Amino acid sequence: MLRNRLFALLALLIVASMVLAACGGGATEAPAVEETEAPAEVETEEAAEEPAEPTPEPTTRRGGWLDEVVISVVSSDAAVTQIQAGAIDIYASGLSSADLPSIEEAGLQYSKQNGLYYELTYNPAGSPAFEGTGKLNPFSSKKVREAMNWLVDREYINQEVYAGGALLKFFPITTQFPDYADLADVVRQYESKYAYNPDLANEAITAEMEAMGATLVDGKWNFNGEPVVVILLIRTDSDGTRVPIGDYVANQLESIGFTTDRQYKTSSEASPLWVGGNPNDGLWHVYTGAWSANIIDRDQGDNFQFFSTPTSVYSFSPLWQNYVVSEEFQTAADDLAFNRYSDLETRRATFEKAIALEFEHSFRTWLIDGKNFAPYREGVQVTYDLAAGVDGAQISAYTLRLADQEGGSVKWGQPDLFVDPWNPIAGSNWAFDASVQRFTQSYGMIYDPHTGLTWPHRIESAEVTVVEGLPVGVTHDWVSLNFASEIAVPEDAWVDWDAANGVFITAGEKFPDGTTAQSKSVVTYPADLFDTVKWHDGSSFSVADIVMGMIMTFDPGTEGSAIYDESQAGALESFKSVFKGYKIVSTEPLVIEYYSDGFALDAEINVTTLWPAYAYGEAPWHTLAIGNLADAAGELAYSADKADANEIEWLSFIGGPSLEILKAKLDQAAAESLVPYAATLGQFITADEAAARYANLASWYDAHGHFWVGTGGYYLDQVFLTEKTATLKHFADHPDLSDRWARFGEPKVAEVEIDGAGQVTIGDEATFDVFVTFGGEAYPADEIKQVKFLLYDATGAVVTVGEATAAGDGQYTVVIPADVTATLEAGANKVEVAVVPLPVAIPSFQSFEFVTAP
Amino acid sequence: MTTVTEAQQASQPVIKKKSTSTFMRVVQYSLIRLLTLFVTIVIGIYLTIMIANMGGYVDEIMRSEIRERVTVQVAMNPANKNLSQEARNNLVMSEIAQEEKRIGLDQPIAVRTFRYLSNALVLDLGRAVNMTSDSGSKTVRLIILERLPSTLLLMGTSNLFLFFFGIFFALSLSRNYGNFWDKLVVALSPTSAVPPWFYGIFLILIFAAIFKVLPFGGMVDAPPPDNRFEYSLSVLKHLILPGSSLVLASFFLSIFNWRTFFLIYSSEDYVDMAKAKGLAARDIERSYILRPTLPTIITNFALLLIGLWTGAIITETVFLWPGLGRTIFRAIGLYDTPVIVGTTIIYAYLLAITVFLLDFVYALVDPRVKVGGSN
Repeated sequence: MLRNRLFALLALLIVASMVLAACGGGATEAPAVEETEAPAEVETEEAAEEPAEPTPEPTTRRGGWLDEVVISVVSSDAAVTQIQAGAIDIYASGLSSADLPSIEEAGLQYSKQNGLYYELTYNPAGSPAFEGTGKLNPFSSKKVREAMNWLVDREYINQEVYAGGALLKFFPITTQFPDYADLADVVRQYESKYAYNPDLANEAITAEMEAMGATLVDGKWNFNGEPVVVILLIRTDSDGTRVPIGDYVANQLESIGFTTDRQYKTSSEASPLWVGGNPNDGLWHVYTGAWSANIIDRDQGDNFQFFSTPTSVYSFSPLWQNYVVSEEFQTAADDLAFNRYSDLETRRATFEKAIALEFEHSFRTWLIDGKNFAPYREGVQVTYDLAAGVDGAQISAYTLRLADQEGGSVKWGQPDLFVDPWNPIAGSNWAFDASVQRFTQSYGMIYDPHTGLTWPHRIESAEVTVVEGLPVGVTHDWVSLNFASEIAVPEDAWVDWDAANGVFITAGEKFPDGTTAQSKSVVTYPADLFDTVKWHDGSSFSVADIVMGMIMTFDPGTEGSAIYDESQAGALESFKSVFKGYKIVSTEPLVIEYYSDGFALDAEINVTTLWPAYAYGEAPWHTLAIGNLADAAGELAYSADKADANEIEWLSFIGGPSLEILKAKLDQAAAESLVPYAATLGQFITADEAAARYANLASWYDAHGHFWVGTGGYYLDQVFLTEKTATLKHFADHPDLSDRWARFGEPKVAEVEIDGAGQVTIGDEATFDVFVTFGGEAYPADEIKQVKFLLYDATGAVVTVGEATAAGDGQYTVVIPADVTATLEAGANKVEVAVVPLPVAIPSFQSFEFVTAP
Repeated sequence: MTTVTEAQQASQPVIKKKSTSTFMRVVQYSLIRLLTLFVTIVIGIYLTIMIANMGGYVDEIMRSEIRERVTVQVAMNPANKNLSQEARNNLVMSEIAQEEKRIGLDQPIAVRTFRYLSNALVLDLGRAVNMTSDSGSKTVRLIILERLPSTLLLMGTSNLFLFFFGIFFALSLSRNYGNFWDKLVVALSPTSAVPPWFYGIFLILIFAAIFKVLPFGGMVDAPPPDNRFEYSLSVLKHLILPGSSLVLASFFLSIFNWRTFFLIYSSEDYVDMAKAKGLAARDIERSYILRPTLPTIITNFALLLIGLWTGAIITETVFLWPGLGRTIFRAIGLYDTPVIVGTTIIYAYLLAITVFLLDFVYALVDPRVKVGGSN
């Protein structure tokens, strides 16, 4: 009997221990909430801890730093554990802020990049009651919506939900992006004005609710004898952080008298309500939204129109159609979206106006700019992009290495791989596939990981010309910027494509009376381009590779083409609405002009290279030639749409049923020494060259079992589709030295200190010294764009904004005139300095408190 | 002997008549049974299609998702920044229309459901809406076939081990009712309340994270070995943890079930009678216990075999095992009706065939059972 009881007890203990273990794992104590006056200030110190080191010595090695990169699929839940166990060296996809404590606890290094950014979307329908239900919609009032800025404590959300690893967000522009940095003094004022203040929120909302006819009964808002119920659509999927955010917001609303209905929904469940549904049905009031910004966008002016006006690209959605905005806001948003201003000063003024009006309308309350963290073990080095991180950055493939070592192998983990077929024209658009493709390709220009500007990669230099009056500036000296009263497109420039005859249509043919463009870029390639750049299969790079890219821009979307694809036609039509022509000026060296009616604010971004890096990967003309044969024969299709419509396979250069078909086409092309689009490419390719290329590709296919060929620092050696793993090998014939991008080791975030008198006499001039450094060294003055200061009084209101005076490298002086200090009352005041450096799009803030006395 | 032969000869016409009627009975039974099963399959599959489409609400979900996705894609593409408002809106609407057409949203849901049904019934599995196979194919047949071997390997290894070892061990326990091992199994049987993936996490922590002797997941080392023998060894190494977690989660309960089952049959009067006659224990076990339980054992085995088809969704996910379970799970998440219907129709046919054949198997192993007999 006793034994039976012992066994029963044993069984119970085992089950109980498992249940307890299941419930107990992973919990971490939430950090204490600290009140901060300057919300985005933490960045300076945190960024300084980031570990990547620049390469100390030059090297003779070419191509990638490593001999081999092995890609495998790893669950994000197990990423840190697997690095600790040595199963992988780096987990290239960013983990959320919630994982930051475990990354740090494990002693791993990590990148820090943009994650999702979070907001509350309001349903503004009703006047003030919903037409469908007759129930009061508090958020039909813009004053209630504006007051929500005071009701939510962003710092609390950051600490509680994101372990303090995110940034507080007040605007539709991204914190730490170039626009935010340029407007540092402006945004700080609004961040101060709309800081957490529940009493002010309550006061404003109470006044507005009463004005709308609601009454407070037993602490609960009522309208027409019924409680005012706020329905929150709280997203449960994605990274899961919107659940605590939604609950917090609901709690805050309840604290001021609202009754809440928390509806937890996935994207699929919520989308038909908030995007597709009629807002006047009253099925929701608040939606926990999130968006992403995974490139450093240097012009976020269009975000106001996108998020807050009925002219947004979302204009088909009933929600956006319900946005009623003032004419002033609409004009400002449209001007920013379509760059309708003559200079950057006007743009800045428009921006300031749009920010103010955005708060006034408040269709959204912006909450958090999330950060993600890609962990890697000690001894691994990689440069990451401030927005795109490790797996989304061009530069990562060129900088990934083992510390102080050339060669070696790195095991790279990511959440998925080979999600869709790979082909450069309309293949997989998954980030998990693109991250691997980036190892295999080169670019005309490469994005600066810290500013979003571009640097020459395969090109030598560029000259940009824009029409006078356009607000374009230039930062780097590899590109020159000119202005012209008119830019005429030459008659012999190629402006369109004759698919039936396989030739380009010239400007002279299409526009007999001539045509002009808004911008022109002239790109010069290196003189030794065709000698030094090799494709992975051993073929030499040629002009034909570039011309093939020009053709493939048009041919798939042009009716009458053998590879016509209806799904490409819309995008081509849009492209043609801006494109004005290209012209090959010379081939030795290669110089190409590009004409367009579009422009960007930076000359560097206006440079258009025609490097054959297609939307979904790089490709030489000869792999596309066999792809085209298969597509034209109706055996494969580049796009999923065409494949589905014709019930054939989606073309993949790396595996599956496509390979057999492509191999047959390769044999056919080789037998015929096929020159694709002979009427055009025949000028650049001889039959012998074609035969040599096909022979190279056949050898490549025999050796590697796929047709993925690029010019990057690594080549795709082997793919294992079901096992979801791939091997990349070092490409020694790459033209660049491995250390070419070593200078982008660490983001050059300025460190700021302020010194000055702790007590200032009212009516006297006050002076403060500002020291700007990086890594202990003075920050060069020519690398600082601006140093501004803001003076706050004892109530936190901004008294004045001014510019600090440069006093040498890393030294600035803030002078507050006597007439300004005379306006201060006795008490504690604060001066805050905003430093905007040029080499990095992250402004640094520092504040200094002082006391004023008579 | 002669008498018997004569009796058989004398009764020959009767037997022939009986044989004809048995044949007719079996044919009639088979036809009705097949028809019933087919109707059941048709209803089951159509219900699956309707459930997978939430009665048509999935169209609304997909439309909204397409609009959301396409709009963000167009807005975030730097190449579109210079487009005029009209050109950008036109682009969005044309991309939305393309995508809706691609996945068939331009046709009424009723038409699509009947097309899914008719295609499924003739095993024309068609093309997936959003998913692709590992090799990049959109045909449902390849999507399923590519994942089938790994699922069969994982599920087959663990379930066949559980089945045969469970029966063997349970028989042994039923012979030694109340001994230490019997009580141990009874005491540990509640451990099967814990799902396999839970054991999986523990096993990963112990053997992969702490001792570092087995891999965290996947089906083979990265990169996979070139040599076929080494490749097989690598697969086996990766099979140990997921297989063990599936076995562990059902081990004690499975033995407990079989042991209880055998104990019930062991206490039948005819078994006591056999014991009283002094028959050998092995003969009693074989002829008096196992024989009458054969239909149940065969039924369990047959259902186990077709159950392998469904995979182990969460366990495969925890171990990143490229099996069918994960494919089905993903298809449900993506509302990929053709893939859901494809896996369901194959399971339905397998189940129907199994149920149909089992009736005949019962008659073969149990003389008391007659195919199509009223009793």
